[in-house]
Amino acid sequence: MRADRVTPGSQTSLREANRARIVSAVQQRGSLTQIELAGVTGLSPATISNIVKELTVAGVLHTAQSTRNGRRALQVTLARNLGLVAGIRFGMRSLSVALADASMRILAEQRMPLAPDHRADAGLQRTAMLVREMMEAVDADPSELLAVGVGVPAPVDIRTGQVVTVGMMRGWDGVHVDEILGAELDVPVTADNDSTLAAIAEARFGAGAGHDSVAYVRVSHGVGGGLVLGGRAVHGRSGVAGEIGHVSVDEHGPVCRCGNRGCLEMLVGASSLLSMLPPEAGHLTLADLVTRAREGDAGCRRVVFDAGRHLGVALANLCNLVDPDVVVIGGKLAEAGELLLEPLRTSLGQRVVATSRGPVEVVPSTLGADAGVRGALAAALDQARMFGSLGVTS
Amino acid sequence: MSGPVLSLRGVSKRFGGVRALVDVDADVHEHEVLAVVGDNGAGKSTLAGVLAGAHRPDAGQVLLDGRPVLLDSPAVARSLGIAAVFQELALVDDLDVVENVFLGHETVRGPLLDEVAMEREAWRLLDQLAASVPEVREPVRTLSGGQRQVVAVARALLGSPRVVVLDEPTASLGVRQTAEVLNLIVRLRERGHAVVLVSHQAGDLQAVADRILVLRLGRVHDVFDGDASYEDLLAAMTGAVRPGAPHRRGQR
Ligand SMILES: Nc1ncnc2c1ncn2[C@@H]1O[C@H](COP(=O)(O)OP(=O)(O)O)[C@@H](O)[C@H]1O
Ligand SMILES: [Mg+2]
Ligand SMILES: [Zn+2]
Repeated sequence: MRADRVTPGSQTSLREANRARIVSAVQQRGSLTQIELAGVTGLSPATISNIVKELTVAGVLHTAQSTRNGRRALQVTLARNLGLVAGIRFGMRSLSVALADASMRILAEQRMPLAPDHRADAGLQRTAMLVREMMEAVDADPSELLAVGVGVPAPVDIRTGQVVTVGMMRGWDGVHVDEILGAELDVPVTADNDSTLAAIAEARFGAGAGHDSVAYVRVSHGVGGGLVLGGRAVHGRSGVAGEIGHVSVDEHGPVCRCGNRGCLEMLVGASSLLSMLPPEAGHLTLADLVTRAREGDAGCRRVVFDAGRHLGVALANLCNLVDPDVVVIGGKLAEAGELLLEPLRTSLGQRVVATSRGPVEVVPSTLGADAGVRGALAAALDQARMFGSLGVTS
Repeated sequence: MSGPVLSLRGVSKRFGGVRALVDVDADVHEHEVLAVVGDNGAGKSTLAGVLAGAHRPDAGQVLLDGRPVLLDSPAVARSLGIAAVFQELALVDDLDVVENVFLGHETVRGPLLDEVAMEREAWRLLDQLAASVPEVREPVRTLSGGQRQVVAVARALLGSPRVVVLDEPTASLGVRQTAEVLNLIVRLRERGHAVVLVSHQAGDLQAVADRILVLRLGRVHDVFDGDASYEDLLAAMTGAVRPGAPHRRGQR
């Protein structure tokens, strides 16, 4: 992990900055030992020990003895009673909401299926109600909510919280997500693309932990992606960075909802995969396809296999451009496991520049369906820290 | 895929001068959620009632596994593996939650299920619904609308019926419990049950439906794929014709 940059200044402002760095490091990683904190911040163990003590007394941090590799270590987290954050993830066909305390301990979780053409107005309003009901269910006062992070399955300009698509996602195009939800819940809201949030979560807590550069792809009803490079999420000019679902794989292919032709999503998105199955199978969902493939159904296996190869082609282009440390595959289709990953690795391997370092690692998501909502919680906590709700000014 | 579990063929039902159902055909398959949507008074509850033995059709047939059956009462339907939660929940206010869950299911209950086992089973069913019912030995009169709904759904699930008919199961629920009912419907479908879900909330139906049957003035106006758009459903419900309305799928 890289050391966060040292800001020069006077003694007091230096101490203030060190405090902020420590809180920020703990907040972003959830839980760290003092020794790891020293490694991450570049501060001396003595400084760490002093500031951690001071912030524990101030009620910002919480410490607990633990054992790591047979050695005793002091584990540092944010104090639980700092307040709560909510993480929300809208998928193409589902909604996930989680409540967590400042130490990222999950207090409540709720998922629900959504209509194929769900819309922002009704969806955000209902989600605000759900957050309030969940707060009530854990006996939390509304005033304890510090911030909300929300992911949506479309590119978002994170500075304005606006979905930037035009004519691509009816019901969400152009919507100011953070404004609407902020007005409903009366707390700071930060909105981002759901796959970018999932990439952040995988990089911080999941399959990409310990790596600087993580490429994440979600293969589900739609196909999304997120990039964390050098430890930072990449958003690009308008929020479109990482949208691998709309990389052109077949320029003579069918026209996509984005207006392009032969996008990856048109080849491996749920509706394309399901339309390849014989109609006698009846109406199947993506979950049915994955279950049947795992159970050995030849047709379903073939569909998953081909999807893996197409993904490999698109990912090879991505890898040749940004050369990530690891590629993490998530989303419903990834639950097919090696049935998807093996053809993906083969097709990827045939198309990337061969190097002495060998092929890039391609691994399944460890956070699974929770990646997006975990990323949304992390974003909410980032937001709470920026608003000074975590006991330090940053 | 195998044939339908439960079908209606040419079913009509009158209440005095009101034609509640007119020549209705419908099929419900295993591993399928058939959603039924329509305006107030369209005949949805009557359709649910016919499927679950609460109403005898004036004309037409009910087929179970392709064979005509006479569903004389909800109890007969129940014994054939068809369970329902009706809009008026038919809970007995003075009985407690466990007694309500097992009410009228002495056959399911059998001699071996004692009070403790019944209470345990009631909790298992309620937990499946992530129900916030605080106490199963309190009379249901003390419960909220949402909690009563959950008790009624739990009762329908007792004994794992093949067909579960749910009439407006989320009508009085908050968002959390609505979410749990929808999740439960998805799980029932995954376990191979046939589910008939009646609602006027098109959004909730679209979230879980394999097919959507639109009733209008007692007639089957259309049967859509589960991914039909809200606008198409609304147009079909109200009888408005949408120009160039896309894919319509008939019965399988
Ligand atoms: N038991 C009954 N007696 C008289 N009329 C009834 C009865 N049940 C339903 N109806 C009438 O039949 C029509 C369809 O009702 P219903 O099936 O309850 O519609 P929905 O559930 O779609 O609102 C309505 O006009 C209603 O008034
Ligand atoms: Mg009704
Ligand atoms: Zn596209």
